[in-house]
Amino acid sequence: MKILTPFKSVPENYGQPGATSSGGRRVINPFDQIAIEEALRLRERGVASEIVAVTVGPDSADEEIRAAYAMGCDRAIRIDDERSLDPHAVARLLLAVVRAEAPELVLMGKQAVDDDASQVGPMLAGLLGWPQATFVSRLEPADDRRSATCTRETDGGLEVITVQLPAVVTTDLRLNEPRYVSLPGLIKARRKPIELKTLAELASNAQPLTAILRVAAPPKRSGGVSVESVAELVHKLKHEAKVI
Amino acid sequence: MDFTWSDEQRELFTAIERFAAAELNEGIIERDEHGEFSRDGWYKCGEFGIHGLPVEEQYGGSDLDALATVGALERLGYACKDNGLIFSINAHMWTVMMPVAAFGSEDQKQRYLPGLASGKLIGGNGTSEPDTGSDAYNMRTTAEKKGDRYLLNGSKIFVTNGPVADVLVVYANSDPAKGPHGISGFIVDAPTPGMTVTRKIDKMGVRTSPMAEIYFDNCEVPETNRLGKEGAGQALFTHSMVWERGCILASAVGSMQRLLETCVRYAKQRKAFGQPIGKFQQVATKLVDMKLRVETARRMLYYHAWLIAQGRSAVMEAAMNKLYISESWVRCCEDAIQIHGGYGYMTEYEIERELRDAIGSRLYSGTNEIQRNLIAAMLGV
Repeated sequence: MKILTPFKSVPENYGQPGATSSGGRRVINPFDQIAIEEALRLRERGVASEIVAVTVGPDSADEEIRAAYAMGCDRAIRIDDERSLDPHAVARLLLAVVRAEAPELVLMGKQAVDDDASQVGPMLAGLLGWPQATFVSRLEPADDRRSATCTRETDGGLEVITVQLPAVVTTDLRLNEPRYVSLPGLIKARRKPIELKTLAELASNAQPLTAILRVAAPPKRSGGVSVESVAELVHKLKHEAKVI
Repeated sequence: MDFTWSDEQRELFTAIERFAAAELNEGIIERDEHGEFSRDGWYKCGEFGIHGLPVEEQYGGSDLDALATVGALERLGYACKDNGLIFSINAHMWTVMMPVAAFGSEDQKQRYLPGLASGKLIGGNGTSEPDTGSDAYNMRTTAEKKGDRYLLNGSKIFVTNGPVADVLVVYANSDPAKGPHGISGFIVDAPTPGMTVTRKIDKMGVRTSPMAEIYFDNCEVPETNRLGKEGAGQALFTHSMVWERGCILASAVGSMQRLLETCVRYAKQRKAFGQPIGKFQQVATKLVDMKLRVETARRMLYYHAWLIAQGRSAVMEAAMNKLYISESWVRCCEDAIQIHGGYGYMTEYEIERELRDAIGSRLYSGTNEIQRNLIAAMLGV
């Protein structure tokens, strides 16, 4: 079984104190790392025969491509596109890659940690007309490789479904814990070729349909005050904070 | 010489720091107290690729040269506080794996190197004996040839990894009439009939590195497991010592760097008499001395490794490395304790353990007195 593992390059420690959204070290989106790890495990079990990683971005994303190689992917493709894209455009680009590569399974993170959109996987499935299983915490391809049993994490509990293959599966946090990339893996990754695909080669006219107008940081919290008594606290809540 | 690291090397070093900081430090205070070896940490390091750094790729290693290897081990020492685990890995690398890589037959390399490089086989070394340490070549252990086998008889002490080893490199005299020229090296699978771990040895520092005394009583070793030619033990030992003495303290340089950073942070935060203690000259001077020691130690470490990587003689540099880095490490630990005052003496601050760990470095791989003898001899006096 051939598995395509699309991934996004995101800032390291995104959202954590002190992390920068640009200029700092970038990593493979953690949920996509889980998808790659699952693909590796399927290959180790003899279920998967080839794992192809793919990402969209400028040449700076080659570092993350190498990280995908270091984890153990067999091939890695970078769609050369410097534009700021939305999930729809990314799904259209991936659509072209899926058609060219013809994988039996597309395995990717349920969301990217930077924009939390959770849209690329479902959109790609829609564009392909393939079944999809999202938020998957357990994935078990059938012996005949024609379907897979997926456990989905939902608010109501664990939902077990079967999807026909080929399908798009997006991974939840609890699916697995990605391995450390080994030192020999890192060294070998530097020597592997990065397959570059231009928009022309993909014959894709993918265009973003949405644009980010502005991003505003949450307002800074002003410092608190200590009060001497319960009476003073009630007074301040009533007359200053005006919440009671 | 150029000590600029390539992008690839820096990527490796960053990966090592992340791995070690996240995976190797948990429970170190308790493991140290109970003298517990972390098998889990060992196998994690093996899988990650620490052991195999200098081994050729065809045997499962990363084929780094000596300079990149010490750079990597320096980072390991910086991020991993389990000096005992690092000591075990060093003993395995320099006294078992590298002698097999350098002197092993193709058959021996095929049989042992992949396992040693991946950490799946744990290696130990038997050189010191109860009555011979610094004068190692006076060893009493004998290897008597019987057909296509040798019978080993004798006792080895301070065998690092002895209680957990899967394979030992043991030195024994196969022709006592020739004195030191009769010494040969042997690869001994463990356990083997006739080989007994007579006792585990408790010690002051690097307590998480297991150590044993091992007794050989007509222990049969096939001739195919002799390492190198008969009587080549001395050359083998000298060769591995150049690697060992030069590289075994790479992690100590990382440890010194970590101690320095810990102390600088503390000297800025801790206040006495209304100001940060770093403002007091007596504290600042200690920090400056620590900085000087770690920088000089690092340069000596790199220079020696660079010589090895160039294929040049590094016998004297190896001795100087071992001597200088070990002394500097102990002094750095002492200064770090002093800077932290009473807290530095407390177990939870993890500096007293570092001092206990560091003191051993004055003794292993040849005492510092022996290193001075060697250097003096090479100076012609």
